[in-house]
Amino acid sequence: MTSVQLEVLLQTLISGLLLGGLYALIGIGMTLIMGVMKIINLAHGELMMVAMYIAYVLFSSFHIDPYLSILIAAPALFGLGVLLQKYLINPVLKVEAIIPENQVILTVGIGMVLANIATIIFSSDYKTTPVEYATKAWYLSDYWRESPIELSLSMPWSVSFCVALVITASLWFFLTKTDMGKSIRATAQDKDAALLMGVNVERMRVFTFGLGSALVGSAGCLFIPIYYLYPDLGGQFTLIAFVITILGGLGSTVGAIVGGLILGVFESLTATYAGMGWAPVGRFMIFVAALIFVPGGIMSLFKKRRLGK
Amino acid sequence: MKRLTLIILIAFALSLSASTLFAAETFDLVIPLPLTGKQAKFGEMMKRSYEIAAEEINAKGGIKKKKLNLSFEDSGAKPETARAIVEKLIDTKKQPLIVGEYTSSCAKAVAAVAEERKTPYLVVASADDDITRQDYKYVFRQNAVNAHYADGLVSFIKNVAKPKTMAILYESSAFGNSGADAMEKDAQKIGVKVVLKEKYEAGSVDFKPLLSKVKAARPDVIYMVSYVMDASLLMKQIKELRVDAKLFAGGAAGFAIPEFIDNAKDAAEYVVTASLWCFKMKLPGAKEYAEKYKKLYGDYPSYHGASAYSALYVVKDALERAKSWTPDGIRDALKATNISTAFAAIKFENKEGYQNQNFMDTIVMQVVNGEHECVYPDNVANQKYVFPIPTWRERR
Repeated sequence: MTSVQLEVLLQTLISGLLLGGLYALIGIGMTLIMGVMKIINLAHGELMMVAMYIAYVLFSSFHIDPYLSILIAAPALFGLGVLLQKYLINPVLKVEAIIPENQVILTVGIGMVLANIATIIFSSDYKTTPVEYATKAWYLSDYWRESPIELSLSMPWSVSFCVALVITASLWFFLTKTDMGKSIRATAQDKDAALLMGVNVERMRVFTFGLGSALVGSAGCLFIPIYYLYPDLGGQFTLIAFVITILGGLGSTVGAIVGGLILGVFESLTATYAGMGWAPVGRFMIFVAALIFVPGGIMSLFKKRRLGK
Repeated sequence: MKRLTLIILIAFALSLSASTLFAAETFDLVIPLPLTGKQAKFGEMMKRSYEIAAEEINAKGGIKKKKLNLSFEDSGAKPETARAIVEKLIDTKKQPLIVGEYTSSCAKAVAAVAEERKTPYLVVASADDDITRQDYKYVFRQNAVNAHYADGLVSFIKNVAKPKTMAILYESSAFGNSGADAMEKDAQKIGVKVVLKEKYEAGSVDFKPLLSKVKAARPDVIYMVSYVMDASLLMKQIKELRVDAKLFAGGAAGFAIPEFIDNAKDAAEYVVTASLWCFKMKLPGAKEYAEKYKKLYGDYPSYHGASAYSALYVVKDALERAKSWTPDGIRDALKATNISTAFAAIKFENKEGYQNQNFMDTIVMQVVNGEHECVYPDNVANQKYVFPIPTWRERR
């Protein structure tokens, strides 16, 4: 392997891991909601879009850095999630319907409404938050002069990656070490038993939906410095989150991280060695392969299908 | 008493002449345009430009002393609507010539109607090659066709950059494919080897794997066919990876509009792009028109506006030369057009399988100090191009 080939491979892996970290944070909110409530939230990407618009408004009107706006956007999304769950999804869950998955259809509707509201308020133009550090990067040759290969590590991508890891780690800590987290896991594992043990299942569900929304909200804030924003952006990220959830195993946080990283690296490798037009194809190959060969997700391979572990 | 009668008589005569002035001394022109829908932004720009031109023409005495009276009909960029509007204009209003429309699909529909009813149609800003390749006798086009859009850029690459190799990146769509194929052919013609031709999905997040591959191939020129957001992301990530090339070139679309610079910031510096027109170019009238537009509406127009503005001057010129203001009279006059406008020199020719097509010089713009400057060809450039460009490491 020549040094050029090595450089391409290493750079591809770096991009793949950084992308995977972000994918993981997008996927983790969905996997949490799916694990606890057994519903597929197809408005997931749209919730991310809402958070991105919050970050955009904060940036353009108050010059608040998108990373700092996590502190505002995440609680806001938590509130939005709670409201959606309490007043829209819960009532539908209680109704006996001909189609058992009517909440899924409801979430699709919520997504459409959110996207259309965004179009009305912000128009369908592309928006960006042009931050100073958008194209800043660290280069291997700056630190090691004789380096035969040149690798670069983008600053905003790395920051997003690290923040995503911190958020995921604190979520893991929350789910395994706190009372509330344990109650959520109990609800996920066995709703009726949890109810008998005195867990307020209804409240846990509302809380979980809020938490899942807050997570994808922070993913949105981490995403906006490196990407851009338009009202219909949600769909593609809902799909990514869905693939990660299936890949990682429903309801598994660690599974979501592993799934996200695998997807990111796989996409980057396909882009480099098969052509970038093939990247979406690669994504769905993984999806189908996961459904066929590891139907319980990667975490089922370790025989520990418990939320948070 | 006598005096009073005289005054009344004079007043009567005046009012009579005034009313005839309004009744017969105007030339009504209804222009179909997209004023709603996705293309409304361009339709609006063209409408304003037509109005500026009409005002100027009327201030200088109109066309053969007739006032040019403009009005607009919204087609919403829908071919059926455009078709219906034009049928009405020709059949009931007996308008002897049609000007306008924007999207190629609408222009195609209008061209078919105009040809069928033997009424001349001047295409202003629709670029699809087919419109003037159908042996139509009544359809004229003043803007360059897609196939010749990058002529200026290709000549710049050949004469200034003199590269040996090229990489082509394009979005996987009809627009991306045709742009990439055209450039590949042009590259072969000027003896440049295409070492990499790769497509990507529009809206992608991470181009870095693709760009690492480009970096490894070390092309002299990187040519990209993209819309604005992909264009900015591509340049940003090229900067991040320090992919160096002699020249970064864009195939218009996303690279030629100010939003590209707003989003890509310093990563956009020195990128060249093909374009039809730039308000900074040295062309008599271009600057005056652009400044007037900016004063009225706050920003500079793109080539769509310039072409619309100039179209009315082409119409004026043709009407002044026409033997009669009938469709055929105007058609013959249009055919003999040979004038220079604020948009380009305009002359309708039959060649390369096109009929009544204006073969204008297309230009090259380069981003210098955060602004698009017209740098090529030399006779219209407002500034010398920057070449060779510094490497990313040297830039800081």
